[in-house]
Amino acid sequence: MAEEKKGRAVATTTAAKIPKFVRGNLSATLKAKEEGKKVAAAFIADGQDEIMRAMDIVPAWGESFSGVCAAKRDAEKYLQKAESDNFSRSLCTYATCNIGFDMIREEQGGAMPEGAPWGGMGRPDMILGNGQLLCDPRFKWPQATQHYQRDVPVFVTNMYYPPWDPNVDHHDQEAIYVKYATEELRETVKFCEKVTGKKMDWDRLAATVELSDKTWDLFIDTYELRKHIPTPMDTGDAMNTMVPLTFNLGTQEAYDFYVDLKAELEQKIADGVGVADPEKYRVIWAAGLPSWFALGDFQYFNSKGVVFPVEVTYRGCEKVERLDLPKTTDPLEHIAWRWVRYWTHWYDAARKRPGSTPKVERIIEYIEDYKCDGAVFHSAFSCRSWHAGIMQQAATLKNVYKDIPILIMEGDIVDISSYNEADTHNRIDAFIETLAAYKKRQG
Amino acid sequence: MDYFAGVDIGSTMTKVVIVSDRIEASLIGPTGPEHRKLANRVMEEALRQARLTFEDLTYIVATGYGRINVPFADRQITEITCHAKGLHSLLPSVKTVVDIGGQDSKGIKIENGKVMNFVMNDKCAAGTGRFLEIIADSLGVPLEKIGELSLTAQKIAPVSSTCTVFAEQEIISRLAGGEPIANLMAGIHDAVATRVYSLVKKLNVEPDIAVTGGGAKNIGLVRALESKFGQKLLVPPEPLITGALGAALMGKDIFEKYAAEGQKPTRSGHKLEEATFFK
Repeated sequence: MAEEKKGRAVATTTAAKIPKFVRGNLSATLKAKEEGKKVAAAFIADGQDEIMRAMDIVPAWGESFSGVCAAKRDAEKYLQKAESDNFSRSLCTYATCNIGFDMIREEQGGAMPEGAPWGGMGRPDMILGNGQLLCDPRFKWPQATQHYQRDVPVFVTNMYYPPWDPNVDHHDQEAIYVKYATEELRETVKFCEKVTGKKMDWDRLAATVELSDKTWDLFIDTYELRKHIPTPMDTGDAMNTMVPLTFNLGTQEAYDFYVDLKAELEQKIADGVGVADPEKYRVIWAAGLPSWFALGDFQYFNSKGVVFPVEVTYRGCEKVERLDLPKTTDPLEHIAWRWVRYWTHWYDAARKRPGSTPKVERIIEYIEDYKCDGAVFHSAFSCRSWHAGIMQQAATLKNVYKDIPILIMEGDIVDISSYNEADTHNRIDAFIETLAAYKKRQG
Repeated sequence: MDYFAGVDIGSTMTKVVIVSDRIEASLIGPTGPEHRKLANRVMEEALRQARLTFEDLTYIVATGYGRINVPFADRQITEITCHAKGLHSLLPSVKTVVDIGGQDSKGIKIENGKVMNFVMNDKCAAGTGRFLEIIADSLGVPLEKIGELSLTAQKIAPVSSTCTVFAEQEIISRLAGGEPIANLMAGIHDAVATRVYSLVKKLNVEPDIAVTGGGAKNIGLVRALESKFGQKLLVPPEPLITGALGAALMGKDIFEKYAAEGQKPTRSGHKLEEATFFK
């Protein structure tokens, strides 16, 4: 063939530390009992990270384990197990993979299912949920998990933030949401104290929250280095480097990871090293969780000169000073303010642009800041709470911003039966050709 | 004289077009499972038709879902871009293309022959030629007759199932209930047109609109689509070859771009021979 496939030019060496983080989190759930620690089945972006870390509760991250199963293309047995008990394939496959795994472990009297990826995940002593607005399975997943582990207590908080309404100034409502969220967190602490038999060390919690804030700031400082042309890091890496922020928030290890990553990106910029050589097109990963079994598709993009300097996915933080948080000495209230202000961060900008929405406004901000030529959305069929709105986001982006090339990929996060590599690459190729025409038209 | 070839390997048909400053030859043959063998044979036949040898070809572009399996092609370009290019050369007023192929359907928004946006259904047989093929087979009507037959319908018998398998069952039940075949075919065309329309309308459709692919050869489907879009649709003289024609023209563009700089594009170096992949 005249055209030769080029390999991925550069991936960060810091990202190579991520498997150690993930394995470490999984093995911590297995070692917890001998270390006298309690394990909590936990869910990401629930606002409970610092409480768990300050009380030495070991989180067992269901989404992380399902992602590992998917990446190893070893999730089918757990999906089928859940399906055998009437959990539909159209439900969240993070949840059904995890529930299927729990079902097998419980049927074996708590023994680890044979061949469980990376040694499997330990049995929880408690289930901590948060029926918040991010994801609708959060209401039922903890309950379904408990259905197979009847002796494990479950506690589901409800932390909300003001819903988007272009005609309402959400700042008028913030305080009541913060008060509610703070009380929910206080109840979470009480529940954890009851299960662990230990009292919360409030000074330790405050220090943990302070460390989280520092990690949020460092994360954004690090990721903003990707604005550089050529970008020193791609979303393919970011789907890994999100792990410390997402699963290890409130730990020194997470902070230190981003110190290393930042140093590496600064060096790459100094050396003029980019992800793709040459970098032809810059594209935003505008929405959607990735297909964990097909992360190689990012390299496919890179091999064609397309880079993702920014993504919305797993960028679950913002510079704390940009959130302008009211001062408080109560660490729980601080978490609540941070929570409400993060989720409503793009409301003010969206209100200024008729027809826009906060999610679209965030995409526009990133497109401008990172100088993107197009946008890619991934519609994962089983994650309906996020992905059901993707078509509308794409249409709104074109209507209120500009008619940039958009690719909507279709697949799933865990269920590989939804994926066809040849068709996916065909779509990517066509999208790149559209980008080329767009850039030529732009001059 | 420079000659440029486009090879479009679709899911059901393989097409080859050879151009110079005009179309020298165009040929269509069934794809089958052995793409590489067939691409080879269809190209040989097209060369015979054009009274050319393989060595006479200046540049070759492959397109279609089987494009990576054409070893003698110098470059691969997706069918989206090639359809836009080919159609623009035939019908320059067209801004929206509806392509109904054997295993997918797509909408392409074009401007001066360049792709501005596209949508694609490659996940579900409903809304593609495969759907019509299965239903025609169930009703015992030759595929090439279903279009004309549907135009004789007294009414459209609605088909509510959105899945090919269930639609087939529904058709058989309706047939057993005494519904005339023509009405059922009209219903099937209406169902396919509805699905394709709901896909393509995401593009902010602008006239003129053209239909390409095998679906464009079905007059019943074209009429059903016209009813959904609310306007007359254009159909090129041979709607199956727009991709191959576009590929050949893309090859010509590439060559001329290099020539303008006093250079020649890199060739694949492969001869026109049967690929060893299947031996």
